[in-house]
Amino acid sequence: MDQFQASFINEANELLVDLEEALLILEEQPDDLAQVGSVFRVMHTLKGSASMFGFDKIGEFTHDLETIYDQIRAGQKKLTKDIFSLTLHSVDHIKALLEDPSLSEAGGLQRHQDLLEKINHIIGGEGGGLDTAEVGDFGTGKVETFLVHLVPNKDILGSGSNPIFLLEDLAALGEIKTFARANNVPSIADFKVDECFTSWDIVMSTAEGEQEIEDVFIFVEDDCDIQIDKVSDTDLFKSEGFVSDLETLSDTIDRLSVAELQVLSQKYEATEVVTQASASIEKAKSSIRVSSEKLDDLLNLVSQLVTTQARLALFAEEHPDGDLEEIAENVEKISRQLRENAFDLSLVPLENTLIRFRRLVRDISMDLGKEVDFRITGSETEMDKTIVERLIDPLMHILRNSLDHGIEKPAEREKKGKDPTGVLQLNAFYSGAYVHIQIKDDGGGIDPEKLRSIAEEKGIISKDVELTKKETLELIFAPGFSTASEVTDVSGRGVGMDVVRRNIESLRGEIELDSEIGKGTEIIIKLPLTLSIIDGLLVILDEVNYVIPLTVIKKCFEIDHDQLENNFNKLLVLEGEQVPYFYMREEFELEKSGLEREQLIVVVNSEKEVGLIVDEIVGEHQAVVKPLGRYYKDQEVFSGSTILGDGTVALVLDTNRIISKFSNVHSV
Amino acid sequence: METAISNSTYITFELAEETFSVNVSKVLEIVEVPRITKVPQSPDYLCGVINLRGTVLPVVDTKIKFGMGTTKRTIDTNIVVLEVLMDDGEKIHVGALVDKVMDVIDIDVNEIKESPTLGGKYNPDFLLGMGKVGEDFAMILNIDRVFSVEEMTLLKDSSD
Repeated sequence: MDQFQASFINEANELLVDLEEALLILEEQPDDLAQVGSVFRVMHTLKGSASMFGFDKIGEFTHDLETIYDQIRAGQKKLTKDIFSLTLHSVDHIKALLEDPSLSEAGGLQRHQDLLEKINHIIGGEGGGLDTAEVGDFGTGKVETFLVHLVPNKDILGSGSNPIFLLEDLAALGEIKTFARANNVPSIADFKVDECFTSWDIVMSTAEGEQEIEDVFIFVEDDCDIQIDKVSDTDLFKSEGFVSDLETLSDTIDRLSVAELQVLSQKYEATEVVTQASASIEKAKSSIRVSSEKLDDLLNLVSQLVTTQARLALFAEEHPDGDLEEIAENVEKISRQLRENAFDLSLVPLENTLIRFRRLVRDISMDLGKEVDFRITGSETEMDKTIVERLIDPLMHILRNSLDHGIEKPAEREKKGKDPTGVLQLNAFYSGAYVHIQIKDDGGGIDPEKLRSIAEEKGIISKDVELTKKETLELIFAPGFSTASEVTDVSGRGVGMDVVRRNIESLRGEIELDSEIGKGTEIIIKLPLTLSIIDGLLVILDEVNYVIPLTVIKKCFEIDHDQLENNFNKLLVLEGEQVPYFYMREEFELEKSGLEREQLIVVVNSEKEVGLIVDEIVGEHQAVVKPLGRYYKDQEVFSGSTILGDGTVALVLDTNRIISKFSNVHSV
Repeated sequence: METAISNSTYITFELAEETFSVNVSKVLEIVEVPRITKVPQSPDYLCGVINLRGTVLPVVDTKIKFGMGTTKRTIDTNIVVLEVLMDDGEKIHVGALVDKVMDVIDIDVNEIKESPTLGGKYNPDFLLGMGKVGEDFAMILNIDRVFSVEEMTLLKDSSD
């Protein structure tokens, strides 16, 4: 597929997101004309671009949909539930068409025809007191442009009709431009005064509709060849240059054809839509589209700059010079700002993704017969685009679970004394260096007893193992788990929550679950804000450099190696507090250092404080974190690597993982 | 002597005094061995990572992967940077540690014999064939299989 088609598809997808947003608002407020206008404009833009790029089926499809919304806009139809559902189905169909423009998939063409029929039915049928005439035939009050081709028979003059009068009648309907065609006029010798040899190409615009034009020729139907074609839904005469273009066109050919005029009309229609659009109140989003590749290139360059700046800083330190120091400091300040801005570019608000969830929740709750109030807060929270994309599947699964297993049907809820409409909340917010996404429902909650017995049934856990409530709830993340007694289409295939957890963890995030029977369930996902550049502390262990993110470091101590020898319970007393520690050399199975004094760095995760012991602390370092790659995908304690000022590679520690991994080993 | 680069051009290198070759289309560059950062708790055959012009590149000790002992670093030791095609279509770069890099040669496709399935020393999965080079044979490595992420050995299992 060529790049233009690809860019059309991108644009189309974005337009569809806007479209769905408008539709969902319309569902609540069917009279919101601004949204109707939005829908109409999207259809119109899609129609124009689709035809231009060869997506004919989409073009023809949106053309008809656009008509419906045009009628609604003009007040001739009301937005009914039927139209609404049909539109949503159509949006799905358009999405399918984008992926498979020729509808080669079975049933696709059938669906296409069915939908078209339904749409045309609506256009012709319902609505405020209109006859069943076809689209554009009646006076819509909107000005349209037509091509009329008039070839009177030779003896029309004999019957008393003068074609000129016909032209005058047509002129009364609107704006008109006629081109007389004298090709058939014979030479003077053969010319007969009472015979008509002239034909006319007439381009006109009128608000009266095609029917009116036809009516002009009522009495001469048998005496003329008449062909009327609509060329545009807009008044092309309004556009400057149209008439002169017409004249030029007419000079070059014998007979104006509909096709040529339509090409001409495309040119002018586009401009008209633009003026329409800018005149109305729109989301003032001034933005440009940038290819991800360009963005990646920029980020790479910024990363290299940061690395080089580190070298400069090192150099300035080793070669004291007032001017050099000042310059190095300035470079550091600017590169820091550049880094923040550049990485900010790759952050997108969650909003775009959350819109599609609205649609999903609506559809599923309707399918299941449940009433749900879906509330979203924090959609302006921004996250790295790649992380957001990988969140879609896990979030969908969690929402499906809440709808399928969590929120009860209205009747059942009433019996329990709850409001028949369930509440499903999705909250996104920043907390420290993390983004939290919280999904809460006020449904039936999860029964730990039930979980327990299913886990035992599946052999995930044995009967006599004692578990706290939290641990029991965690069972839901075990592979092969499913509490649905039947596998529904919506969820419950037992591949769910463990995959969700793995997906979240592969993003270096965490997922937790809490629930109370009868009250509801809450799931919290925590994700690191940026994987890319962090401020860290550079340390050395066995001549290898490591970086520990500053955000997790609480304090550093220097300790004597003797304190570690024969220390059975791995605890040190520091500043009056007991601090468990990991002797990293031991944990990494390296030999003893032989150093007398070593460094202990107290790091925290959400629950614990642990000391990590390394050989030496070097200093602060801004680390551009790069992934270690697929060969290291199984290792767990490093979030990535970074390149130091001297060109060597340092490893970035993921302290959360270290703490949980080594805790399990030592049962801290 | 100019060798035109084509599908039949191969780079040969030495591992434990045996000659192996790899198609030039898979080779991105050859570099001297810089400081390698070992990643703790990783498989033996992964030496660690190096900095290749701003990219972090994993380095594999090819001999360990082939079960031929470890690579001793000498002045001739080099890293051959290869582009490997994974099962799921992803292309990744990896550096392979070799004892010595030898020549760039042409092996005509007619000169490539199939590696023996019985009685051969090496696991035929790893080899695309044996290329005749003068009097000798150079084993042509199937890079995509050799450097796929699982642990595999080049030497055949005695149970085969």
